[in-house]
Amino acid sequence: MPITTANPQATRSTGTAFARILAISLLLLTSSVSCLAAQSQSLDDVKPVPLLTGGAGFITFFDAGEPHLVPLVSPVVLLPIGQRWLFEARGTFESDMVQLPGRSGFHGEIEKAVDYAQLDFIANPYLTVTVGRFLTPFGIYNERLYPIWIRNLQTDPLILPISIGPSNASTGAMLRGGFKAHPQFNINYAVYFSALSTTTTVDSARFAGGRAGVFVPKARLEIGGSFQHLLQDERSNSFGFHAFWQPNALPLDIRGEYIHSKRGSGYWIEPAYRLSQLPFWQSAMRRTQIVARLQQFYVGDLPDYNLPSVNTRQFEFGLNYYFIDGMRAVSSYGRQFSADGNSNVWTVGLTYRFVIPLGHAGSD
Amino acid sequence: MRRHYILAVMATLTVVCVFSAIAQERSSSTAPPSATTAASATAQSAAPAATHSSESATAASDAAAIERSLRLEGEKRFRANCGRCHMPPHKFPPRVMAAAIRHMRVRATITDEDMRLILRYMTQ
Repeated sequence: MPITTANPQATRSTGTAFARILAISLLLLTSSVSCLAAQSQSLDDVKPVPLLTGGAGFITFFDAGEPHLVPLVSPVVLLPIGQRWLFEARGTFESDMVQLPGRSGFHGEIEKAVDYAQLDFIANPYLTVTVGRFLTPFGIYNERLYPIWIRNLQTDPLILPISIGPSNASTGAMLRGGFKAHPQFNINYAVYFSALSTTTTVDSARFAGGRAGVFVPKARLEIGGSFQHLLQDERSNSFGFHAFWQPNALPLDIRGEYIHSKRGSGYWIEPAYRLSQLPFWQSAMRRTQIVARLQQFYVGDLPDYNLPSVNTRQFEFGLNYYFIDGMRAVSSYGRQFSADGNSNVWTVGLTYRFVIPLGHAGSD
Repeated sequence: MRRHYILAVMATLTVVCVFSAIAQERSSSTAPPSATTAASATAQSAAPAATHSSESATAASDAAAIERSLRLEGEKRFRANCGRCHMPPHKFPPRVMAAAIRHMRVRATITDEDMRLILRYMTQ
């Protein structure tokens, strides 16, 4: 059996070639980004102020009869730098308080997490470059609908943990943007690469992927798809489809998502209707929203401790009331059907969205 | 193997930036003036015409009509874009809105045109 050994000279020459190609690529990239920056005009005439914004809430869950009290604060810091840079970060402070046997009252630890901390460079109208830790743009829920003050129902969709990484975020770089491709529709896209990180609370997996969507403003319809290739473990592919629709004639939102992966597949569909069209109790009805969500999860070939271990179906019905723009009362009832047993999930709570300028907020 | 991935990422970044720069160069050389520019040009053109009262009145009325149309378009874009994910918020002070819209441009991949029209609507 012949034994092959590495040729040191060949290795050195490959290394030199790699370094040269990398240097040329970096040079080209730097010059292209500088060129883009020089070409673009200033993005706006109003100087933005740093903001402390985010959501806070207090939700009570009754999961299979067991009460959980969940206070949560999720501050977002927005720090605009110059005309085209933005540093943004979100943290979450959350507790899941439960009754412990033999002790009175509710007890729980405060969990802290950095959801994302990213630096954005708006290169031009078509491209934004993001580096750091960012929410994985796979599907729509994690990136757009996750905050407590945005989501219509306080429970997560069953398929949410699929392909978004161990702590819902990626560590690496991303290119993204949205542009008018045709008078009738816009295109939005995101491509990203995430490196492996095993540091607790900011961990991430090694993968690369992308998402693209088409938005038709006239029909108020967006459809899109996501793809991801895992660059570790089983090196599998995942894909998904999403849709938003807001019919022009009705105060109705319909959202849905389907995801397929080796670790599981499933879908959710969520219609939400504002009762503003009802002819009675107008002042209360226009603040009231009814929501439903139907979802199904199918177990994949590989196990994942974040996902149900058996095929699961769940439906939920919710009622939300908006006191003011950023404050609302939320409530929902859901029932889960699975081979592990059926159970009810009730939620009731309050959510609040705050915006605090960290400087003079008037015009420039 | 790792080198291949690094090279692939660098190549992708470079290609995207180069194509983007070319596309922007083309669009900036061929694009007609935007509605915003048209509105300000109309408003500016009204000044020298002040000596001719009828022309001035026409120009002022045109500028007001353009302003109304931009506001209407801004409101439409605001409802279509912001309302897709959450209840559209009330108006904020201009500098707060400028920061929020930059954040939303990245988060919700709002187009540059939509961002400008929404910012105009929300700050005037």
